[in-house]
Amino acid sequence: MADRYFNPFQAIDINVPVDLHEAFTRYCQTGGNAVIDQSPFPRMVDLWFLAVCVAARLNLEPVDTAQYETRKIIDGSIFGSDPWRVHTLMLIAIGKTGDVQIVSEPRKMMSIASALAVAGLPKVNEMLKNGNAEPIWNLSDAIDTALRSPARIA
Amino acid sequence: MKLLRASFENFRLLRDLELKFSSDPERKLTVVRAANESGKTTILNGLQWALYGDAALPGKGEDFRLHPIDWDGSGGHRVPIVATVEFEVTTYRRGPSGLRETRRKFRLVRSAFEEVNGKTSRRSPSTVRLFALNDTGASPIDAPEALINDELPPELRDIFFTDGDRALSFIEADVAVSTKRERVQRAIRALLGLGVIEEAIRHVRKASSDVNKQAKQIGAGSELNKIASRLEAIDEDGLKLEGELDDAEQQFVAFDEKVEETDRKIATALQKGDKEKLQKDLELALRKIKHLDDQLTAANKEHSALFRGQYVATDLLSPVLDRAFGKLEELHDQGKIPNTTIPVLEDRLSAELCICGETLKPGEPDGQRRREHVQRLIDDSKRVDEIQEIITDLYYGAKSLRPVSDAGSRWREEYGKIVKSRDGLQVLSDEAGREFRALELQLDALRDTDIQGLREARRQYKDQRDRSLSKQSSLGTQLAGLRREQEVLKHERDRLLREQEKGARIIAELEVTQDVTRVLQSAYERITHDELKKVSDLMNSIFLEMIGADPEQGAIIRRAEISPDFDIIVYGPNDRTLNPDRDLNGASRRALTLAFILALTKVSEVEAPNVIDTPLGMTSGYVKRSILRTAVRESAQLVLLLTHDEIAGCEDIIGEAAGVVLTLTNPAHYPKMLVNDPHVAERKVLRCECDHRHACRLCQRRTDAEAALGVAT
Ligand SMILES: [Zn+2]
Repeated sequence: MADRYFNPFQAIDINVPVDLHEAFTRYCQTGGNAVIDQSPFPRMVDLWFLAVCVAARLNLEPVDTAQYETRKIIDGSIFGSDPWRVHTLMLIAIGKTGDVQIVSEPRKMMSIASALAVAGLPKVNEMLKNGNAEPIWNLSDAIDTALRSPARIA
Repeated sequence: MKLLRASFENFRLLRDLELKFSSDPERKLTVVRAANESGKTTILNGLQWALYGDAALPGKGEDFRLHPIDWDGSGGHRVPIVATVEFEVTTYRRGPSGLRETRRKFRLVRSAFEEVNGKTSRRSPSTVRLFALNDTGASPIDAPEALINDELPPELRDIFFTDGDRALSFIEADVAVSTKRERVQRAIRALLGLGVIEEAIRHVRKASSDVNKQAKQIGAGSELNKIASRLEAIDEDGLKLEGELDDAEQQFVAFDEKVEETDRKIATALQKGDKEKLQKDLELALRKIKHLDDQLTAANKEHSALFRGQYVATDLLSPVLDRAFGKLEELHDQGKIPNTTIPVLEDRLSAELCICGETLKPGEPDGQRRREHVQRLIDDSKRVDEIQEIITDLYYGAKSLRPVSDAGSRWREEYGKIVKSRDGLQVLSDEAGREFRALELQLDALRDTDIQGLREARRQYKDQRDRSLSKQSSLGTQLAGLRREQEVLKHERDRLLREQEKGARIIAELEVTQDVTRVLQSAYERITHDELKKVSDLMNSIFLEMIGADPEQGAIIRRAEISPDFDIIVYGPNDRTLNPDRDLNGASRRALTLAFILALTKVSEVEAPNVIDTPLGMTSGYVKRSILRTAVRESAQLVLLLTHDEIAGCEDIIGEAAGVVLTLTNPAHYPKMLVNDPHVAERKVLRCECDHRHACRLCQRRTDAEAALGVAT
């Protein structure tokens, strides 16, 4: 077991509302954007994950994605290359629900994360845009500020 | 293809010259011995002009005179220029009795006229004719370019016809990375025949736009019709933009080369004008700027990595994680995470030492018995239910995600470091820029018309280079925007199609074309990847063999490879990357480029000549010999244009490998370097049959010492 690693999210697609898709092509380097200062995220999963984290940090109200038309951005197999993200998604689910048993339900865990991502994406967008510098600096400063101010706990 | 013979008429120094090439597979080498300024580079240009026309001449032939410079008009003002190349093409056909080899011979004749008017001249467009040669004579063949394109693709001109010095442009540090990459990439893709797949991809793309047309026809004036029309327009715009982007990229490379070339000329001019110190300072300042640029890029990447790393997540999530770990701790305290033993026990097993200090070595009887016992404990523990297993895994596996209570934010710490490094580097970079501009002011103050002329030229080239770069990025942005719009519209179109009765069939067709595109795309990438690896490996082994005998470099250089980004990289001990300019000596640099050229020709399985001008310059001793020997072995037909110095020390190898050796002499070298007066008034190169060991009345040269003293016989 110690050397076995499994990715419960392997078969789950990650979707975002069509309206929020633009941020992924604009701010991720995988979209073919070569200027790092303008497109700070190496991959789409990095932006998505940050949105999850920001929403959790600011205790934003999760958004039910069922009411939107969505588009797939990545599939869950991406987490296979970053085991810590799998653990983090599980811990978020436990932290948010207070229920440890949720770890056996990958789809539930993912929908919690998804709802957070959709809540967090407009905020991350705002972080990238607000400021006088390039997106990477705007975002860095905004995160720096967020980390200095106490987290809002539900 | 193999070269058989070539002849030139009024092609610069080659007023009338015929060359024969060895096509004997046992003696693949042809050596043309010629001192400097005796027509070596002219032969290289002449062969390429014959095969590819004006586009293959320096500067694409613009302002490049072809007729002999001392044309006096007595033979008329209209100078006929002719280059003829005879070659042999081997084809294989599978017949009833196995593979059948057919050899066909061809003669290619290119001719043009230059109207000479005093110092100026005008050249008519060249005409080219191709003949198939057979026992009874020659029969003309239509569309000669097609055969040449097949046998010696123009994109590979640099690989088949190489100037030993220019070839270094594949690796040299003072050439922009993108330029080198582009050269390597272009060469590799051309050799692997990837054009065919590219063509297929274009074809499928067209098919998909045809399907879009069908969608357009459903319900004129409807929303679907509007979207399909918009998609059609986007397709067209996209193609146009891609073409423009291609052009801009090529322009950038061309102007970048011009800038580098002018820099070299300025450096030479400065040295001539006793301004060596200024030249050195400039070079140093430029190097510093480049170095700082690299560091800035690296810092930039590190900054970006802050958003893919773990810290940003754990720091932001610390309240949530705290809560989750709290839950896990509760379970742990209640003894509901019992498998704590497993990792510990497994640790012990691999350490072969029990917690109590007893041995767990599998070889010893007690050790083996205890091992089995421990393994049983592990197996028992593993039989807990699934949830517990996942939780246990999480509890132990997510240790690194636990918030560190006393520490502040680790992300902020990293971010602080990056701000410092980026700011610091920016200050240094600004400073280096100022230093450079100050030196440029010194240059401005020089009253040397040559240098000022060159600098003006450089400014213009650089201007054009920068313009093509900004054009590239603006086109890139436009394309990206277009693609985004396309994605959204496609999505919308497919949604609307699904609502239509006829839509299902169209959607199915679209899906098929998309699938085919994906297959082709992945084939394209796989071939590039696999073949690139083959070229890379072969280049490495040829390179190491060539420099293997060099004790000085042997200790530094471990291996060379072509990266997936098409960069040629050399590694030293501990996988440290080496800078070809600084860490490799001249011989190794030459060996590396020759290894690349030979590997590429070989992996492509194209039977093609390698004609190389001055391949052994800057090499000596064992390395020189091993470069020559390896090159002969790896090439299908090797034509080397060598100086006497390059030949020295390799006579035996040439004796064994060469099927043809001949000597060229420039009569203008009398009396300084030639012993006998050739009695030739015109400037022209003369050929004699002397091989690398002999000299005749015509080609006998003074020794260096005699030449220096100006001794006459
Ligand atoms: Zn001779």
